[in-house]
Amino acid sequence: MPRLPLEGIRILDSTYVFALPYAGGHLADLGAEVIKIEGPGRPDVTRTGGYAGSFPENQAGEEWWNKPSTYNLLNRGKKSLVLDMGDERGRDLFREMVAVSDVVMENFTPRVMRRWELDYPNLRKIKPDIILVSNTGYGHGDGPYSGYPAQATTQEATHGHCWVTGYLDDGPAKAGASFVDFLSTWSAIFALGAALRYRNRTGKGQWIDIAMYQAGVMFLSEYLMDASINGREGGRMGNRHPYRAPQGCYPALGKDQWITLSVGSDEEWQALCGLMGREELATDKQFADILSRRRNHDELDEIIAEWTATTDKFDLMHLIQGAGIPSGPVMTGRDIHFDPHYKHRGFLERVDFPEERGVGSRFLMGRPYKYSNTPMSIKGPGPKFGQNNEEMLKELLALDETTYQALLDETIITTTPTSGEPSPQMEPKRAVELGLLGDYDPDYLQKLGLV
Amino acid sequence: MLHGALEGVKVLDLSEDIAGSFCARLLADYGADVLKVEPPAGAALRRMGPFFHDDPHPDKSLFYLVLNLNKKGATLNLETVTGQNILKRLAPHIDVIVESYRPGYLASLGLGYEELAALNPALTMTSITPFGQEGPYSQYRGEEIVNYAMGMIMSISGVQGREPLKHGGFQAQYEGGLFAAAATSMALFGSEFTGQGEHIDVSITECIASTMMATQTMYPFTGGTQVRRRASGSMFGHPMPCEDGWIIVQTGGGASWEDLAEFFQCPEMLEERFADRAQRAVNGEELDRIVIESIKERSKWELFPKAAEYRMLFGLVQTPSELVDCPQLESRNFFREIEHPVMGKVKVPAELFKLSETPYRLERSAPTLGQDNREIYVDGLEFDEQQYTRLRQLNVI
Repeated sequence: MPRLPLEGIRILDSTYVFALPYAGGHLADLGAEVIKIEGPGRPDVTRTGGYAGSFPENQAGEEWWNKPSTYNLLNRGKKSLVLDMGDERGRDLFREMVAVSDVVMENFTPRVMRRWELDYPNLRKIKPDIILVSNTGYGHGDGPYSGYPAQATTQEATHGHCWVTGYLDDGPAKAGASFVDFLSTWSAIFALGAALRYRNRTGKGQWIDIAMYQAGVMFLSEYLMDASINGREGGRMGNRHPYRAPQGCYPALGKDQWITLSVGSDEEWQALCGLMGREELATDKQFADILSRRRNHDELDEIIAEWTATTDKFDLMHLIQGAGIPSGPVMTGRDIHFDPHYKHRGFLERVDFPEERGVGSRFLMGRPYKYSNTPMSIKGPGPKFGQNNEEMLKELLALDETTYQALLDETIITTTPTSGEPSPQMEPKRAVELGLLGDYDPDYLQKLGLV
Repeated sequence: MLHGALEGVKVLDLSEDIAGSFCARLLADYGADVLKVEPPAGAALRRMGPFFHDDPHPDKSLFYLVLNLNKKGATLNLETVTGQNILKRLAPHIDVIVESYRPGYLASLGLGYEELAALNPALTMTSITPFGQEGPYSQYRGEEIVNYAMGMIMSISGVQGREPLKHGGFQAQYEGGLFAAAATSMALFGSEFTGQGEHIDVSITECIASTMMATQTMYPFTGGTQVRRRASGSMFGHPMPCEDGWIIVQTGGGASWEDLAEFFQCPEMLEERFADRAQRAVNGEELDRIVIESIKERSKWELFPKAAEYRMLFGLVQTPSELVDCPQLESRNFFREIEHPVMGKVKVPAELFKLSETPYRLERSAPTLGQDNREIYVDGLEFDEQQYTRLRQLNVI
C-alpha cells in the first residue's frame, strides 16, 4: 500500500457542527489518526437536533446518536473520546492528549479556549511544536464582530453572498446548502498541509486562525474590486451570466426535472438553433449577437423552455453537449446514485458499518479529488460516542483502572450522551405531500444493492 | 529561516481560468514561488471583467489582478515545439504544475503528467476541470451553472414552483481552486516522505457535490430526495426586508423565542399560535407579516449589534461596497494595498486566513503580460540575446 500523506499524524478534533468536523473526516481519509472529542452533555449537533440529516430507514431506535447520516459522513474514519472539558479533570486529560498529538482543531467562540487556558500560547507550553487550527464565525482578534454568534445561514447574508444570489424579480436569497462552512473545511486542510510541511522543515508549529466570514467575502473578490475601483454594486443575475447568453435552467420531461445550458458564442447559438429545429432564429437580428441575446433574454428563455420540456434531462445534456455547448441536468440527491459518471469515478463509497451499529451498509461521498499514486478511501463510519475512551485513556495515557472508573462514575467520560434528543422524523410519504420532500423511493435499498 | 509555510515550493501556473488561477494564488500567498505561464495572447481571464475603469485592456482585468497576486509572469506558446521543449527544460526544477485545460490536452502536446513525471518523479500536477480527468462526461464542457446543476446544489436552491436557482458570482470556480490548493498542500507534505509527486485530479462538480451532506446521504439512508423550499411559509432563515436593506434571522443559537419577541418588540410573537416550531410553520405567513412590519423602520445597522447582545443568529445582507468598508475585515487586515504598474495603487482582498509563524504576505501585484520573460529566459534558462529575440519573433513568447 502506498504511504498516505498523513500517516503517523495524530489530530485532536474538538470541533462541532459542519466545517471542521468535515475537515477532520477528510484528514482521516488522508491517513491521520483523528480523535473526535465531545462532552458528555455536548454530543455533536450532527448526532442530535436539526443538523443530523437522516436516520436509517427514518428510525432513530437504540443508540440513535451513533446513527445519523450527516454525523457519519462528516466524522468518517475517526476515533471518539468523550471528555468533559467543563471540568478541570477533563481539561487535564485533554492537556495530556495534547502532549502526545501533532494537531489540535477547535471551533469554540474565541473566549472559550482562552478561559480554559487552552489557547495557542498555553497549548505551546504543553507541546512546543503543536499546530492549532481554529475556526470561528468572524475570526479572532479585536474586531467589532469577533464575539458575535455566527453560523452559515446568517453569515451568507453578511459575507455578501445573498446580495448576488436570487431570482431577477425578487430580493436577495440564500443558496440551498450551508455553503460557507465548506470554505472553512478546505481552508483548514490547505493551511494544515502547509503548516505540517513547515513544521517538518523547521520543527516549529503554528496557529491557523480561520474566519468563515472572511472566506466567504474572499469568494466575491471580483465584486469587491468592481465596487472599490468602479463604484459598482453588482447584484442579482438569477441564472444568467455576465458575458454569455442565453444561459438558464429550463424544464425537462417529468415532474420537477430541469436542464441547464449556457451559450457563449454566436457559433454555439447557431448550433443550439439547429438542435431546436429553429434555424430561422440563427439569422434573426433580435438574437444575432451576444448583446441582442442578452436584451431579448426573456423571449429566448420561453423558446428554449418550450423545446426542452418534452425531453429527458440526461438526453438533453448529451444532445446539447454533443453540439459543443455547456449543459447539464439539475441532479438530485437520488440522481447521483445512479449516474454513470459519478459511478465511474467512484465518488460514492460503500461504507459497511459494524453489525452492532444496526446501520448496515450505506453510500457516503468520498473526495472531490484523486491522487494518481496514492489511492484513498473512507476508513469507516463515524465512531460511536466514546468508542475509544478506553484505548485513549488506558492505553495511550496509561490511566489505571481505578482512576478510569472514577472518571466514569463522575461522568467526566461516558459512552451515553447526558443530553440531546433525536430530531423528529416525519413519515416520508407525508413529507412528500407537505412539499417538505421532493420524492420518496420505498425500495431504495434494493435499488442501491444494499440488501 | 523560512518566511512562508510553502517557501521553496516552485510552481508553474498554466491555468487561464478562475479555478486554476485561484489555486496557484493561494499557494503563492503562503510562500510558494509561482510563475504564471500564459499563451502569448494572454490567459483567457485577462479578457474577463470587471475592468479597471471599464477599460477592457489585458493588463486591466480586475478579475485577473485579484486571482494572480503574488505571482511572476511569463509567456510561452505550448503549441510550438520550442515552447514544449522549454516546458520540459523547466520541469526538473519545479514542484507543482497547476493546469485547467480540457483533459488530455497537455498530453496531446507531449506535456502530460506521465511525460513530465518521467523527467521529475517528485513533480505534482494539479488538474482542475469541470468533471475530472476520466469518466463518460470528462470531455463535456463545464460552465458555472452546469457545475451547480450537476453538483446537486441547484436541486435545493430557489423555491418550489419556480426553476432551481444558481449561486451568484463564480463560487464553484473558487471552490475548485481552494479544494485543489488543499489537495496540493497535502500532496506536497506527503512527498516530503516519499519523494514522489502525484497527478491530482480535481472535479469542480464533485467539489460542489461534496458540500451536499444532507442531500446526498438522505437517499441511501431513507429513500428520500430533498427539494427546494416551499414558496410560502416562515421567512426565518431567509432574508427579510427592513428600512435600509435586508436582515436574516435563524432561530436557535443562544436566544430563546421570548428573546426574539423582545428583540423585534413584537409581543404578538408570544401568542399561542406561534408557540412551537410546528405552529410557526402553519402560521408562517402571519408571523412574517408581524416581524417584517416591526422592522420596517429599523436599520440593519442598528439591529446587527443589538442581535449580538441577545446572542441571536443574525445576519444582514451586505453589498460589495459595504464589505470594502467593513471594520471587521479591517481589523483582520483582509484588504491590502498594492502598486500595479498599469493601474497604480489598488486595494485588493488579500488574506484568506491567518498563520501565526508564517503570516500572509502581499509581495507583488499580478504580472503584466510577459512581465518576467527576460528574467526567466535570459537570466534563468540562459538564452542569449539573439535566441531571446528569436523566441519573440517566432511567437513562442
